[in-house]
Amino acid sequence: MTVNPQDRTLKALSLLLCYPSAELVAALPEIGGVLGAETRLTALLRGDLARLVDEMRSGDLYALQERYVDLFDRSRSLSLNLFEHVHGEGRDRGGAMLSLLETYREAGFEPTGWDLPDHLPLLLEFLSTQPGETAADILTSAGHILQALAVRLGRRGSAYAAVPSALVELAGGVSDHAAVSGLLDQPDSDPADLAALDAVWEESEVLFGPDPGAGCPSGRDLLARMDQPQHAASARAAS
Amino acid sequence: MSHLLDRLNFLQPKHLETFADGHGQVTRESRTWEDTYRGRWRHDKIVRSTHGVNCTGSCSWKIYVKSGIVTWETQQTDYPRTRPGLPNHEPRGCARGASYSWYLYSANRVKTPLIRGRLLKLWRELRRTRTPVAAWAALQSDPGLRAEYVAIRGKGGFVRASWDEALEMVAAANAHTIKAHGPDRVFGFSPIPAMSMVSYAAGARYLSLLGGVCLSFYDWYCDLPPASPQTWGEQTDVPESADWYNANYLILWGSNVPQTRTPDAHFYTEARYRGTKSAVISPDYSEAAKFGDLWLNPKAGTDAALGIAFGHVILREFHLERQADYFTDYCRRYTDMPMLVRLDESDGRLVPGRFLRAADLDGALGEDNNPQWKTVAFDEADGGLVVPNGAVGFRWGESGKWNLEPRAAGGETRLRLSLAEAHDGLRGVDFPYFGGKASAAFTTGDNRPEVLTRTLPVRRVETVEGPALVATVFDLFCAAYGLDRGFGGDWVTDDYLADMPGTPKWAEIITGVPAANIIQVAREFADNAERSHGKSMVIIGAGMNHWYHMDMNYRAVINMLVMCGCIGQSGGGWSHYVGQEKLRPQTGWQPLAFALDWSRPPRHMNGTSAFYAHADQWRYETLSAAEILSPTAPKGDWAISLIDYNIRAERMGWLPSAPQLAANPLEVARAARAAGRDAPAYLAEKLKSGEIGLACEDPDNPVNWPRNLFVWRSNLLGSSGKGHEYFLKHLLGADHGVLGGDLGEEGRPKPVEAVWRDDGPRGKLDLLVTLDFRMSTTAVYSDIVLPTATWYEKNDLNTSDMHPFIHPLQAAVDPAYDSKSDWEIFKALAAKFQEIAPEVLGVETDIVLQPILHDTPAEIAQDQVRDWKKGECDLVPGKTAPAFVTVERDYTAIYDRFVALGPLLDRLGNGGKGIGWDTGHEVEALARLNGVWREGAAQGRPKIDTDIDAAEVILMLAPETNGEVAVKAWEALGRITGREHTHLARPKEEEKIRFRDIAAQPRKIISSPTWSGLESEHVCYNAGYTNVHELIPWRTLTGRQQLYQDHLWMRAFGEGFVAWRPPVDLKTVTAAVNRDAGAGRPHVVLNFITPHQKWGIHSTYTDNLLMLTLNRGGPVIWISETDAGRAGIVDNDWVELYNANGALTARAVVSQRIKDGTTFMYHAQEKIVNTPGSEMTGRRGGIHNSVTRAVLKPTHMIGGYAQQSYGFNYYGTVGSNRDEFVIVRKMQNVDWLDRPARGKEAGE
Repeated sequence: MTVNPQDRTLKALSLLLCYPSAELVAALPEIGGVLGAETRLTALLRGDLARLVDEMRSGDLYALQERYVDLFDRSRSLSLNLFEHVHGEGRDRGGAMLSLLETYREAGFEPTGWDLPDHLPLLLEFLSTQPGETAADILTSAGHILQALAVRLGRRGSAYAAVPSALVELAGGVSDHAAVSGLLDQPDSDPADLAALDAVWEESEVLFGPDPGAGCPSGRDLLARMDQPQHAASARAAS
Repeated sequence: MSHLLDRLNFLQPKHLETFADGHGQVTRESRTWEDTYRGRWRHDKIVRSTHGVNCTGSCSWKIYVKSGIVTWETQQTDYPRTRPGLPNHEPRGCARGASYSWYLYSANRVKTPLIRGRLLKLWRELRRTRTPVAAWAALQSDPGLRAEYVAIRGKGGFVRASWDEALEMVAAANAHTIKAHGPDRVFGFSPIPAMSMVSYAAGARYLSLLGGVCLSFYDWYCDLPPASPQTWGEQTDVPESADWYNANYLILWGSNVPQTRTPDAHFYTEARYRGTKSAVISPDYSEAAKFGDLWLNPKAGTDAALGIAFGHVILREFHLERQADYFTDYCRRYTDMPMLVRLDESDGRLVPGRFLRAADLDGALGEDNNPQWKTVAFDEADGGLVVPNGAVGFRWGESGKWNLEPRAAGGETRLRLSLAEAHDGLRGVDFPYFGGKASAAFTTGDNRPEVLTRTLPVRRVETVEGPALVATVFDLFCAAYGLDRGFGGDWVTDDYLADMPGTPKWAEIITGVPAANIIQVAREFADNAERSHGKSMVIIGAGMNHWYHMDMNYRAVINMLVMCGCIGQSGGGWSHYVGQEKLRPQTGWQPLAFALDWSRPPRHMNGTSAFYAHADQWRYETLSAAEILSPTAPKGDWAISLIDYNIRAERMGWLPSAPQLAANPLEVARAARAAGRDAPAYLAEKLKSGEIGLACEDPDNPVNWPRNLFVWRSNLLGSSGKGHEYFLKHLLGADHGVLGGDLGEEGRPKPVEAVWRDDGPRGKLDLLVTLDFRMSTTAVYSDIVLPTATWYEKNDLNTSDMHPFIHPLQAAVDPAYDSKSDWEIFKALAAKFQEIAPEVLGVETDIVLQPILHDTPAEIAQDQVRDWKKGECDLVPGKTAPAFVTVERDYTAIYDRFVALGPLLDRLGNGGKGIGWDTGHEVEALARLNGVWREGAAQGRPKIDTDIDAAEVILMLAPETNGEVAVKAWEALGRITGREHTHLARPKEEEKIRFRDIAAQPRKIISSPTWSGLESEHVCYNAGYTNVHELIPWRTLTGRQQLYQDHLWMRAFGEGFVAWRPPVDLKTVTAAVNRDAGAGRPHVVLNFITPHQKWGIHSTYTDNLLMLTLNRGGPVIWISETDAGRAGIVDNDWVELYNANGALTARAVVSQRIKDGTTFMYHAQEKIVNTPGSEMTGRRGGIHNSVTRAVLKPTHMIGGYAQQSYGFNYYGTVGSNRDEFVIVRKMQNVDWLDRPARGKEAGE
């Protein structure tokens, strides 16, 4: 089905995050053209995107595919399923996916294929059909995840970092810097840093003091950390 | 005074009443806030399903689905009620299960078929110009191309593939392998069918139609207790958990019920409210220990000594000083204790030999049928020899006398238990003693001789070979327990506090448990059993079965239960719970799973021997037969290596083989036909002449390699891969962490039967295919990973030994991403195979080598051990060697057959465990229920198209779910026993359980002769119940619970009777491995054991973040404070554990809970989660299996001998792993190896 996207840039970015296929590689010149002409992006970012496009055009398709599977199918901290970063394996995930699905349906779309509703390329394709404000709103709300993805990909030296960076820029930057650093303040910044890993798993000392009603500090702190599943989720990036 | 003026008549103020003394207030606010919660908990439908992992839980769950997305789950609470006076089963389910809905959408899901990029590229290149099979053949024939993808196993580099392409490659590999090497080179491994029977059956059916090999798991997991088949002729049969409630005395022995049996633990708690006393035996202060009235903490691995001491006290106080009537009567009727054993004389010394048989006596005491398989006893009344009903000789070839009625030769009999008052003399008999040969870690300074001669009463009988001495099992048994009965002589005592083998004091020295506690528990246990007629129970943890000498641990416990009459009595018995070993509708499932409806027999292989041979673990064997041989062994050729024993066992038809011949069986059949010969006779001749060899004799020859391996529903290389590093090195050819050298490099003796090749092969497998929904350790090493459905995405059946219900898994949602159910995957593979195989295969004749099977007339094949290859007898297929069976395979109709119920059921009927019945009526019913195929190779046959069709096949054919079949099965058994049993199923004759019935509510199954307990409204399920109450014999040589094992190899290895055998020395902590653990690097050497944990494996795996968060987030080992102090380790330190087998890394949990000398690592922690690099190997730290290696035991290879005959997952070698020692030291540098991984590190 053909729907003329309102925002071809978002559609182009969606495509760049899809599994590399011969068809995608063939379309890269066109994708590169759309992105190169996007004035909402800085020249620096346009350059980064062009590098990604060039890399994908010139690379061996198997190598591209292996890289994609390694990065996005197998690295939990780079999952393109956005709610992985928000809810982790949390129980709220089902409900969150549900409301996203209903958003698509309200707008008159039914997802096809097997990707979950929170798959980033799927979301971007949807946003490309939506009025600019809607797209910007939703992108803004996901800004901290996109920013974190950009930084993590950057750390791995991956040209893919340009895509989430571009999305952040299209959303007008990130307002919730605390959330970004919440995602990034994690030991995968330096996997050899044992102290950081310790901090995540450390149990608090149990003190039997004058205020027994204060509850078990060990359990309390663990639960508090579990309320922020993204912390734990990225802590396992050691794999 | 009226309040009328002060009262409002028409209005109420908004803030009105208070209650609870002003603490509560009634308000009239808007309640719209509740909509938030209503929205949160909304759903479109609730689907019943469960979590099909190998936990015994089998808990039914409600899965809530909204718009095709699973939103949450809760426990089902609609199990059928129990009877008054017994608690109900609910709630079932635990935190591990509850965390599952979150896992469904985990980033660990495998989304699409994955193939290693290097392999796919090669394949597409070859495929451009070639047909599929030709392309695979080209890839395999070029060593350079093959090495390209084999060497990078475990190093990432996967790309997505379409189903069509992935399945084409797999099918082509299978077809090429069958053509080039033989169908028995296609292997498959999947465990625990009971947890999802249809999913297991899918792969097994595909393999069986091809002629491929299904590998067993129960023995490989070491969850199979060989003591059970030895004693009872039954794989494992146990009381349901509800029966714990009926016990008056409960011993938890090495079992951690609150931790690992969470959904059932309430019965244990409730039993204690009822007043049941409980003793907990556990080396560590486990969670269960808190529940005990008494906690005994023996040194790990010394349980047999403790059990023998219990038995010593019980025999003394309840069988000798005073005869408890209930016990004596029970032992006389239900055990081999009255049976006579010949005493063999050698160099003037006597040792217990074989059971006296009717055939040994003049005229065989009138027994014409199988007299060599009928055991003999003395009648108490007339003092003569009698052949009591029930021995295995009565089971086959005649009818009506295979029962436990107290009869012999048609008349009543009362058997004599002891010759104490009817002997010809008192003689010294030799018993082996192993306690003096303990390794350094287990020695107590015991320097007793290795043979103890004890005096007991004997009788002289005239045999056909001349006079012979005999004794009763009871008298020998008492001597083995070191009981002084006034017969004089040494090595017996009547003093519990004397340090004499068998006494509580002796056990105290070995185990560390005070003698007073041993005496107390033994007395209480037996006293309760006497007064309650058997309501004393032992819940036993499979950990005790994971020691090399597991049979001694288990038989010590079983003996206790038997001498107290607890087996077969409600509230009593032996409760060994492991895996979900109990597939209740077994006889309905087998035809589906092994394609018995199309061809018989299937190729079954015991997993342990297969992995020992093909992962080349035998090349590193450190244990010699001499170390475990009995000093009383009869003369013989015993000084051979363990793999040699296995090869002899395969040759004599005791154990199965895979691959079978050192030739393609299709080619052998073709050659026989060309020669105008009958294939079995032709093969026998070629084997005798040596022109064709057995594959097992040369496992490293490329001709004999397994070529394709399917793994589904399993993490074979991870949690299940004992000798993990050897798998990597030899079977896969991947990077590995083996630290020690092989027999050649170490200069140790070589095998005599197995061909030794100096260069061990690297990468025997052409193709490893794993079906999983997550990237497990096995998937990481596979060539192809196929994404499968999870437990909320498929329809299947689930049963357990813990409760009597059958309930379903159901597809609450479609399989996520591009995954499919196991049934659909193998069905699609069958279709692809049928499409491409005709390129090289048509209708072929296969020759299957079938070992001598238990519960078949062949099981009484080998009265004596004779090896045809050594010229000790002729090669008679099915008698002195495996049976050679020709099977027609139509490789052009694999799919057509896969999806249809074949005609053999109509022709040959159905059955199991030695009972057969006609099942034509059920086949007809399935044709009406599922419909029939209108065309194709299976025209007119009932359909098995969907997973629900497959479930209906199981339910319709099985007596447990079809009352009509149950009645037929009991009738069939009645013809053999001469007794009427159908009353057990008649009330349920009209009941037919269908898939939609169990979708509505779990259903209780119907009593069937497949199992030894009853599903009744009056008693809980308890094993052995029908043996005791219906007088159905146990399926052993004597037909009774057999406490004496008389097979030559059992006697040679000193296990005729139970004995204390210290753990074996595996010699893996070598000077070479320990070279740099010296100065400045403190370390300790500890016994390494792997119990089950609270945070993983059962119900989820150990990569569930929420579960990990509750523990320490990655691999941990537990260590005592003292040991930690010696090695300079503090809590939460990273430590490394290593020995010659490999290395692993983990955090240390330093705890007072742990006994000194031992370290725990919980089973199934994953290599893919938070594991840093090892300093020893320089690679990502291994898993708990990295420091282990499977070691075989010859007594588990015995075959062709009644209960010691092979059965799939019933008898065979087991993968013990607890005798292992490791070096533990603190790590200096922790390296996460988190650099870009491609082409560098194994693991990920």
